[in-house]
Amino acid sequence: MTVAIVLLTLFGSAWLLAVIEGWTVTGRLQPAAPLLSGLAHLGRESIVPRSPDRVFFEAAPVLLLVVAVLGAAVLPLAPDLVIADLGTGALFINAALAYVLVALIMAGWGPNGAYAMIGGWRFLGQLIAYSMLIVMPITAVAMRAESLVNTAIVGSQADLWNIVYQPLGFVLFYIAAMALAFRSPFDLPTAEGELAGGVDAEYTGVRLAVLRLARLTLVVTLAAATTVFYLGGWHGPLLPPWAWSLIKTLAVAVSMLLAGGYLPRIREADLMRWCWTLGIPLALLNIVIVGLLILVVP
Amino acid sequence: MTAVLIVALLTGAILFGIGVYGALSQTNLVMIMMGVELMLAGAMVNLVAFWRFLHPKSYSGQMFVLVVMTVMAVEMAVGFGVAIARFRAIGSVEMEEAEDLKG
Amino acid sequence: MGAQAFFLAVFGLAAIGFGVAVFRTSSMVRSALALLFSQTAVGCMFLVMQTEFLGVLQIMMMATEMSIMAIFMVMFMMDPGGLGGMDMTHQKRFSIGAGVVAAGAAIAVALLADWGPVTVQAPAAAMQTRELGHELLGRSMLIFETAGVTILTAMIAATAVAIPVQRLADNGDKEVSE
Repeated sequence: MTVAIVLLTLFGSAWLLAVIEGWTVTGRLQPAAPLLSGLAHLGRESIVPRSPDRVFFEAAPVLLLVVAVLGAAVLPLAPDLVIADLGTGALFINAALAYVLVALIMAGWGPNGAYAMIGGWRFLGQLIAYSMLIVMPITAVAMRAESLVNTAIVGSQADLWNIVYQPLGFVLFYIAAMALAFRSPFDLPTAEGELAGGVDAEYTGVRLAVLRLARLTLVVTLAAATTVFYLGGWHGPLLPPWAWSLIKTLAVAVSMLLAGGYLPRIREADLMRWCWTLGIPLALLNIVIVGLLILVVP
Repeated sequence: MTAVLIVALLTGAILFGIGVYGALSQTNLVMIMMGVELMLAGAMVNLVAFWRFLHPKSYSGQMFVLVVMTVMAVEMAVGFGVAIARFRAIGSVEMEEAEDLKG
Repeated sequence: MGAQAFFLAVFGLAAIGFGVAVFRTSSMVRSALALLFSQTAVGCMFLVMQTEFLGVLQIMMMATEMSIMAIFMVMFMMDPGGLGGMDMTHQKRFSIGAGVVAAGAAIAVALLADWGPVTVQAPAAAMQTRELGHELLGRSMLIFETAGVTILTAMIAATAVAIPVQRLADNGDKEVSE
């Protein structure tokens, strides 16, 4: 029962996100558009490139979707609405997100195409850097909660949300989450104008539908993670807990969507340099500051 | 109950054996490193099985596993650095062409 | 117990199967990703044995490490796609023999030794993380610090070895040796 509710919420949010994305792009609010375009993909011819690595080609979209769902499985919508409240939930999200890299490498190498391959290998550098950058704010959050259990992390924000307690950590987590979901301005693997679609380029038909669904679900999962770690999860007046979780998750997801629209795509050299030379020291500084705050402030 | 321990130990042993085969039979440095990774994975499986089934109260077992994971990461980093330097020097990382490193 | 043994066997067979695939396939990227999934299966075995932290850590680290291995294979190997059909092994019989001897010795010890009483209950996951943290920063602090310094040294050493050597040419300009 809980599984059904959480999965329904996940895919419903992905659908809403697709509608809003369509709204920002075309200016028209079409609620049925994502479903119709998904069905249209199913009807289109499923082209397989010449001599692909078949195992990778087929597995990559499915793996991406599985990763997004697994990441959402440990995030609580309400105190009792979580699929698997793991003892190391906060770390499990990072573990699941590392497989986004595996999925994109498969999608890059599988189709035996130059643009896809470049997109895939570019993402390797991007994700390794931003994976480090995402785990350090999670460490600071877990320090405050004194636990890696996600429900305990939300519980520790009952009186003060982490976004106020650790603003530097929030900024770093937000940027790293956008980079992990390869949304613009970090969308090097699927650079539309530059790599002719990159990793997405060789996929058609049902696999492309799964890939697109997986991308949206990944953004929703990361937005839900931001809500759980920094925005106080289900805490809020008046409305029931799951409503607050939903509102916050959608707000973060939409803001990620819109923030990317105004910034140019960052080159991979700059992207990685900013992460390693600027981001990681700031993340370490964040851990030190949070540690001092926890020890000094009662 | 002992059956579970035996299953885990057997898996560790076979992984270790495959790793030994890989480390000794491959000519490429990266493939040799893969063999070493498999050996370390087999060792870790054994360590965790011993911790879980024989001494679950003593956390030195888990500490040892953390150390082995650290060793895996460190060995890969230094190994790939050496591989880059070697590739830059002679254009390949094959062991067959590494006579000049002998002695 | 039965369920645990079953899942342990399933993930164990998966780990061994992927491990064998590492050396049987001739495509280099498939080899690296097969190793990745073998390590993931090992991580899942850790989860089945109720060491949650170690299992999640293994799954996370190995994904990144093996992907790095994949790109290094593509960089350094002559035939990363594996379509050329080259045999990249040497001293095959000796290494098969050595592998069989190593595995055989370990299996013999596993089957013949008397392991004593097997504990059925394991501590809860949250308590394990807590106790591991206490162990790490308490009794094993020296090991922890040494590991930290070792990682730092390895980072510096790997970077120093990997950057190209810069020599001064005769007219005083820096030139990079290729």
